[in-house]
Amino acid sequence: MALEVLERRPEGRVGREALTIVGRKTLRKDAVAKVTGRELYASDITLPNMLYARVLKSPYPHARVKSIDVSKAVEMGAVVITSQDVPQVLFNPRLVSIPEATYKDWRVLTDRPLFVGEPIAAVAAETEELAQRALEAIKVEYERLPAVFDAIESMKPEAPKLHETIILKDREVKVERNVACRLEIAEGDVEKGFKEADVVIEREFRTNRRYHNQLETKAVVVNLEPGGGVTIWCTTQTIHNTRLLIHEIFGIPMNKINVKKISLGGSFGSSIHTNIIVPIAVALALKAGRPVKLVYTREEDMHDHVSFQMIFRLKLGAKRDGRLVAGQLQAIVDIGAHQIQAYPILGVIAGWWVSLYKLPHVKYEGIAVYTNKVPSCAFRGYGNPQTTWAVETLIDELAEKLGIDPLEFRLMNYVGEGDIFWGQGPTVKTVIRSCGVEELLRRGAELIGWHRRPKPGQQKGRFRRGIGMGRGFHTSSAGSPVPGSVIDYSGAMIKINEDGTIDYITALMDHGGGSLEAIAKIIAEELGVPLENVNIITADTQTTVYDVCTHASRGVYAGGATALKVARQVKQKLLEMAAKILDTYPHALRIRPDPKRGQGVIYVEGIEGKEITIGEVAMTARHKNWGTIAAVDSHRTEAGPPHFTAYFVEVEVDTETGIVKPIRVVAGADIGTVINPDLARGQIHGGFAMGMGMALLEDTPYDPDTGDLVNRGFLVDYKTASAPDMPRLKDFTVFFAETYEPTGPFGAKGLGEGAFNPAAAAIANAIYNAIGVRFYELPITPEKILQALRGGGENV
Amino acid sequence: MEIEFTLNGVRKRVQVEPNELLLNVLREKLYMTGTKYGCGIGECGACTVLLDGEPVLSCLVLAADVDGREVTTIEGLARGEELDEVQKAFVEEGAVQCGFCTPGFIITAKSLLMENPNPSEEEVREYIKGNLCRCTGYMNIVKAILRAAGVIPQTP
Ligand code: FES
Ligand code: FES
Repeated sequence: MALEVLERRPEGRVGREALTIVGRKTLRKDAVAKVTGRELYASDITLPNMLYARVLKSPYPHARVKSIDVSKAVEMGAVVITSQDVPQVLFNPRLVSIPEATYKDWRVLTDRPLFVGEPIAAVAAETEELAQRALEAIKVEYERLPAVFDAIESMKPEAPKLHETIILKDREVKVERNVACRLEIAEGDVEKGFKEADVVIEREFRTNRRYHNQLETKAVVVNLEPGGGVTIWCTTQTIHNTRLLIHEIFGIPMNKINVKKISLGGSFGSSIHTNIIVPIAVALALKAGRPVKLVYTREEDMHDHVSFQMIFRLKLGAKRDGRLVAGQLQAIVDIGAHQIQAYPILGVIAGWWVSLYKLPHVKYEGIAVYTNKVPSCAFRGYGNPQTTWAVETLIDELAEKLGIDPLEFRLMNYVGEGDIFWGQGPTVKTVIRSCGVEELLRRGAELIGWHRRPKPGQQKGRFRRGIGMGRGFHTSSAGSPVPGSVIDYSGAMIKINEDGTIDYITALMDHGGGSLEAIAKIIAEELGVPLENVNIITADTQTTVYDVCTHASRGVYAGGATALKVARQVKQKLLEMAAKILDTYPHALRIRPDPKRGQGVIYVEGIEGKEITIGEVAMTARHKNWGTIAAVDSHRTEAGPPHFTAYFVEVEVDTETGIVKPIRVVAGADIGTVINPDLARGQIHGGFAMGMGMALLEDTPYDPDTGDLVNRGFLVDYKTASAPDMPRLKDFTVFFAETYEPTGPFGAKGLGEGAFNPAAAAIANAIYNAIGVRFYELPITPEKILQALRGGGENV
Repeated sequence: MEIEFTLNGVRKRVQVEPNELLLNVLREKLYMTGTKYGCGIGECGACTVLLDGEPVLSCLVLAADVDGREVTTIEGLARGEELDEVQKAFVEEGAVQCGFCTPGFIITAKSLLMENPNPSEEEVREYIKGNLCRCTGYMNIVKAILRAAGVIPQTP
């Protein structure tokens, strides 16, 4: 697989004017199926002779299973598995990093549960109800063990130990003080840096533990194939890594594991790893010898995945003239009971941090700590929204202390074009080649009326309004000029059918954001065919080449670059054949979409009559036995460029109820060439709603007595933004910067995570502007606001 | 027990347990999987269907209770390939992302527009507040409903 630099195109608008499909509003291809209820999701699959499964989960946060009696359940006709019936291997359900960066501490079923909700046993029966009754008939005797729910407590010598040893690659690692892993980075001389600084501020920040609340709960259906193979439909962001993990656990040959691509009802990181129900369902199906379906309830789902929670100690120093000189960050990350991507997150937190503002001297320490809670996994932004919230809060404070407009302070210090960007921690670095930060900040400030915002803390009356900003970015893929510790490449196959229609076959998933829609447009643009002619094929692991995962906002950028590379190979073959037919040369030919004929037409410029449709070429190729016009390839992008975003938010704080309402939003995004304008706007709307949840609403606290979630997994007590919480249509402005990313397909970058990352920071800064109080703990609930106001406006 | 009801204009007869929920009967027995499970406790709206023209949460309705009545699910809105106005507006206004909440929203929107053909933006927001969407931030959904009502024009 060669590293390939995509053809450079002219900067800015000039290059885009020639585009006929990219950048236009088009209707998404899967929309009709989705609005008519015909789109299938994993939980919609039903197979003949299928059994329904349920999982028995630990009611205790830490325990040892002393005995387990399944006889009653078996008598009832259920198939039962316990930890004795599954392969005794330790694994990590996330296979995005290389083995040297993947710590393993999971089992399919355990007899030493480490959180409320950890699977102990599972049953399969003719109906879901029978499965449930069989589950209730299983008798388990537990020995309760002491548990710990706070990362700082967990590191104390007297804290209960969760893991003795875990596995890194093939070697055993002893776990000391519940520290799962750690990472230290230093550049420059931070002590010297702080000495040079005129102003230094240090704060401690504590983030919330947010539940993804993707609308579709985790689901899996497993079919058994003759000869010991399995076919799997499941909620996943990566069909190929699901296949690899099932192979790793069960030893089934890879070519006998077929994971089917199926629509995903949202994910936001909760299925970057293979959800634990997948190996459970495979084990059940193997034992039962029949297909098995397992769908989690919402309550079970809330005990299955959650965001990382961080305690940051952040210190920044600046010169009086506004130059930042030094920064120090300690990140203590509560990862819950098992590692999903604990080591990688320590790296990316450092990366997000140093890529926001230029810091000549930095020191970083990241510590990932086990606690007896639901295991944490990626959640849109992968540590970036948390880091950005802390940094953007402190930057605001520093600016105020220096007497510099926070907007200008940011412009003086941001990491931009020509600087180094750590797209995925210290091993994935890229030179920034496109950057619209200044445009985003200047235009956003003008649109919101930044310079007319009130002075913090000066307002009176019940309803107080304030304006705040937060800026940020996310990477587009984990691509880089050298391999790094994160795997990042895509695959695509494109073939031309004999009527000139195109099939695009890829393992890349679309979670709903529209990555595949955008890629279809990239292909249509390159091949010069009407968009309707490009078909996104439902595929599976048996019919596709590897694609790492849809995460890291890589779909459009890396998946699109791969499709473009393959489309060019197909185009070359197509033009060679057309040249033979038209008696000319491939490089003398052009293609244009001809909507009237519903075809792409290949022609020689200026010479009449020398033209032929793509369908005619493909059909001729068939009749002359030249073969199918198709290509398949893998591709690794040589960069992982940042896409930049900025939020300007006006909030209204009700000082009697403590309720904060965002009433006006201006959101700017630099995503290079905008391929799908309306879907891109939709990503930003959704990102803001999630940011509102992070800033104001969402958390999953634990009850130390039961060791369970305070809300016990009930959605009634996990509030996310609903329609009336959002600003009015006319008060939500989205704009895009005029940039062009030279390494991206037609100049495009990613968006999914940047759309979310700085939203919470902007809301928090707006609250400060309204009431003059800063909050260092999320979410900023009405109670905290009232308490702060009663306390006379002290920062909390 | 056996119940008989009209589902999207077709008479259906089906064996159900007395404690069985309409949502499960639709999905598991009649293979009408357009109606989605999101919470099972009336919190998300993904399971919304019309019962005798009124919106109900099918995760809270006993199948036995629909005996002799009329149920409309998302599968019952389009006439063949021709989409209903609300469906069309959802497609054209970018109101669909992952699509898992979409059937519930469209059914809720249908019911709103039957009650109130000219809703204001505030009325739309209020009416759909029981439906959760984690992808869209609701903006394009609100837009699509207003547009289907003819209150605002199609976005170019
Ligand atoms: S599934 Fe019925 S309201 Fe959520
Ligand atoms: S479109 Fe995904 S939940 Fe609404």
